[in-house]
Amino acid sequence: MGNNVALNTKYDGNSDYDDAAVTDNSRSYRPCSLDELVARTKFDKKEIQVIYQGFKQECPSENNLGIVNEQTFKNIFGQFFPFGDTSKYAHLIFSTFDLRSSGIVTFEDFLIGLSTLCRGTIEDRLKWVFKLYDTKKTGRLTKDDFHVIVCAVYSLLDNISNHYNDYITIQEHTATVFQKFDKLHQGYITIEDFIKICTQDPIIVQSIEALRGAI
Amino acid sequence: MASVAAWLPFARAAAIGWVPLAKHPLPPPPFRIPTDGTSSSTGGDRRCDEKIIINVSGRRFECWRSTLEKYPDSLLGSNEKEFFYDEDTREYFFDRDPDVFRIILNFYRTGKLHYPKHECIAAYDEELAFFGILPDIIGDCCYEDYRDRKRENNERLIDDRLHEDDDKAQPKPQSVRETMWRAFENPQVSTMASVFYYVTGFFIAVSVCANVLDTVSCGTDPDTGYSRTCGERFSRQFFCLDTACVMIFTVEYFLRLYAAPDRLKFIRSVMSVIDVVAIMPYYIGLFMHQKGEVSGAFVTLRVFRVFRIFKFSRHSQGLRVLGYTLKSCASELGFLLFSLTMAIIIFATVMYYAEKSVVHTKFTSIPAAFWYTIVTMTTLGYGDIVPKTWAGKIVGGVCSLSGVLVIALPVPVIVSNFSRIYHQSQRADKMKAQRKARLSRIRLARNATSNAFIAAKRRHEQYRDDPNSPVDKNLVNPFELQHHHLLRCLELTTDREFVEMGPDALMSSGGTSIVPGGHTSTGIGRLGSPARHFMLNRRKWRCCGFGRKKKNLYKHDTDRANNKNPNINDDEIDEELGDFQRPISSTPRDSLSKNHPVSTTNVIQHQSPPLLLQHNVVLHSNMYESPKSIGNRSEVDVPISQDDNNQLKHQRNNLMTVYEHSSANDFLADDSQILKPPKDVVDIIEEGTNDDKQTV
Repeated sequence: MGNNVALNTKYDGNSDYDDAAVTDNSRSYRPCSLDELVARTKFDKKEIQVIYQGFKQECPSENNLGIVNEQTFKNIFGQFFPFGDTSKYAHLIFSTFDLRSSGIVTFEDFLIGLSTLCRGTIEDRLKWVFKLYDTKKTGRLTKDDFHVIVCAVYSLLDNISNHYNDYITIQEHTATVFQKFDKLHQGYITIEDFIKICTQDPIIVQSIEALRGAI
Repeated sequence: MASVAAWLPFARAAAIGWVPLAKHPLPPPPFRIPTDGTSSSTGGDRRCDEKIIINVSGRRFECWRSTLEKYPDSLLGSNEKEFFYDEDTREYFFDRDPDVFRIILNFYRTGKLHYPKHECIAAYDEELAFFGILPDIIGDCCYEDYRDRKRENNERLIDDRLHEDDDKAQPKPQSVRETMWRAFENPQVSTMASVFYYVTGFFIAVSVCANVLDTVSCGTDPDTGYSRTCGERFSRQFFCLDTACVMIFTVEYFLRLYAAPDRLKFIRSVMSVIDVVAIMPYYIGLFMHQKGEVSGAFVTLRVFRVFRIFKFSRHSQGLRVLGYTLKSCASELGFLLFSLTMAIIIFATVMYYAEKSVVHTKFTSIPAAFWYTIVTMTTLGYGDIVPKTWAGKIVGGVCSLSGVLVIALPVPVIVSNFSRIYHQSQRADKMKAQRKARLSRIRLARNATSNAFIAAKRRHEQYRDDPNSPVDKNLVNPFELQHHHLLRCLELTTDREFVEMGPDALMSSGGTSIVPGGHTSTGIGRLGSPARHFMLNRRKWRCCGFGRKKKNLYKHDTDRANNKNPNINDDEIDEELGDFQRPISSTPRDSLSKNHPVSTTNVIQHQSPPLLLQHNVVLHSNMYESPKSIGNRSEVDVPISQDDNNQLKHQRNNLMTVYEHSSANDFLADDSQILKPPKDVVDIIEEGTNDDKQTV
């Protein structure tokens, strides 16, 4: 996708930004103009302003490059789920927001993600969820993927690594969910199946609606 | 990360990933969800966040309301700020320090509370307390600094309070024992104590000198032809001197022991041990002298006589500081000793083996080499033992170089400790000296305000009696008017009268304090009745009392009217009387004497909160004067000269500004401040308070 980030310097998607930030403070990311963002997302101007103000404030101060990295996500989730280990889930969310797999989330990425989640259609959202689950970007969900996501969700509650019982629970939960989706017993789930099954399940649809948040 | 609230929508959105996994249906959201079409209108959901203007002493700060609401426990985050809302300007007004407020507002914005190094810790704490923010949340970057400053401040406060307690008029010692103890601990308390102090000091010096001169050679012994010491030659005289000194020391020790409130503690204290060690050799010598044989031990005992010099530490502050420093630097000293020992052993060993081959070497053993090492490391270099081989010389060189280093390392720590402690004690002394000056300023200000009221009253009466006389209107302000009205109400309530206080009158805090008043004769401003009388009495004192040492200005109150002995005499006039200006009242007023006959005085001190001016007022009961006072009154009918009049007017103007100018609050805001007379008055005051009589 076209990257309209106006850069002061060219950046390499694979570079390690933390190091670079320390040594080279001239890099900074300014998002593209407000109008463009309005066009690309489903938010209006005022909303984008508000979101940006909050976003800017949360940029790690030592970089202040206009981006967030995974650690920041982890911290943010840590504030909402103080008892658990948020790193796994944060990693998943981060990867999903990170549209270019660059290791950083710029404001555009963030905004686009939010736009999909808050203002998108059910289908868009389900696609997003599929992307969330599909960590290896294969286009198919296997049981391992589900295991990963279930682990991540459970770890938000509490640090699970010590509890064997929880591990059993996770296994069971994974099995249940996978079975629910894998009606054809193929061993994997494609995106179409996923969307179809989700839309047909009223509980899921209702739950998705429940999580729609106003900005 | 402060804006948790800002990320909540994001977190909720991200939670959509849980949905397919959910075992149960998720509950509906807590608020009304807008549908897509109306997003723009509800985009204003967050826009209900409005900008707040906060005006702090003229500097305007603006922020979002949601910024402030991040911390609902504080003043700004809660409804408490509504108390400061100004409808007209539609802003919140705080009459506080804008510089500190900036930091506080930054806390709301960033979640980090900083502590600026240039701010006074007390002022900063006050501001934090006002805005309801606990100092515990100061960020790590500034917390160390804050804690250090706070600790210093607390130490200073404790120090001050300690010294205040020292200065404070102690309750009168209940017994001889307590008096004695106080006299011992604090030589300035009474003349007896000072005398005792100096006498013991003198005898310590005499004793030490005798010990020293004891050993000076003083001519030859006619019998044996050898030179003998003065001690041997004048043995009788020295013995007498020694006996006298030891007797004095013994008596002193037992007196202290008797007077000590906690005898066990006293016996265990350092000074007491020194005392004992100083006098014991004499007594032991007495007993042993009878036996006469064990002269070696006897001589050793005499060495202990040198400990008498340590008794000087009671007399010398610096010595005590030095001792305290050494005690507090025990660990550094220990380190010094340890490292020196290590180095000595190492070098001595090496030297020994290096010099072993030399014939007739002085390095006969390693312990023998210790002496060389010590002398070299401390760079003394006596030269009585020197290395001869090259190896030995090299090692010797290294030894002396390293000696300098090892000794130089712990010394700065000890020095800085000493310096800190010494400066602390200096500061304490300086503060004591300054306290006097401060007290006199406070006194002046306090009396000024009360006199201002009296003057205003008089003016009012003057105006009332003679409507044509000009009243100086420009000296009145609304605050003063109300204040005076209040005092007037109080007068009328209690059927008493305020009279002026001379500028020298001292007050103690709380409760009734006593004021000059009552019988007149030659006393200090005892009465208040006719202003002229009052003032004229002052005149009299001025000519009589000028230059006298300040003594007792506290007089007991109510019974004065009953013809108790007016023991106040001229001796008790304050020396400072001459320095202060005359009382406020400008003209003698006969009408006043008719209206307000008073005899006894009561003083009640009003301790209002620091925002209001404190003042001392004197209340008199409306009793008739005793005949004695009336009789005396006639003696002092001296008219006021023009100079005095002008002086008084000038004074009044000055004091008016004192009244208006809230800087008087500086003087008066010390809640803990008690107007203290100097120490030599304290006894007298107490005796006066308790016994209804005054002594000089």
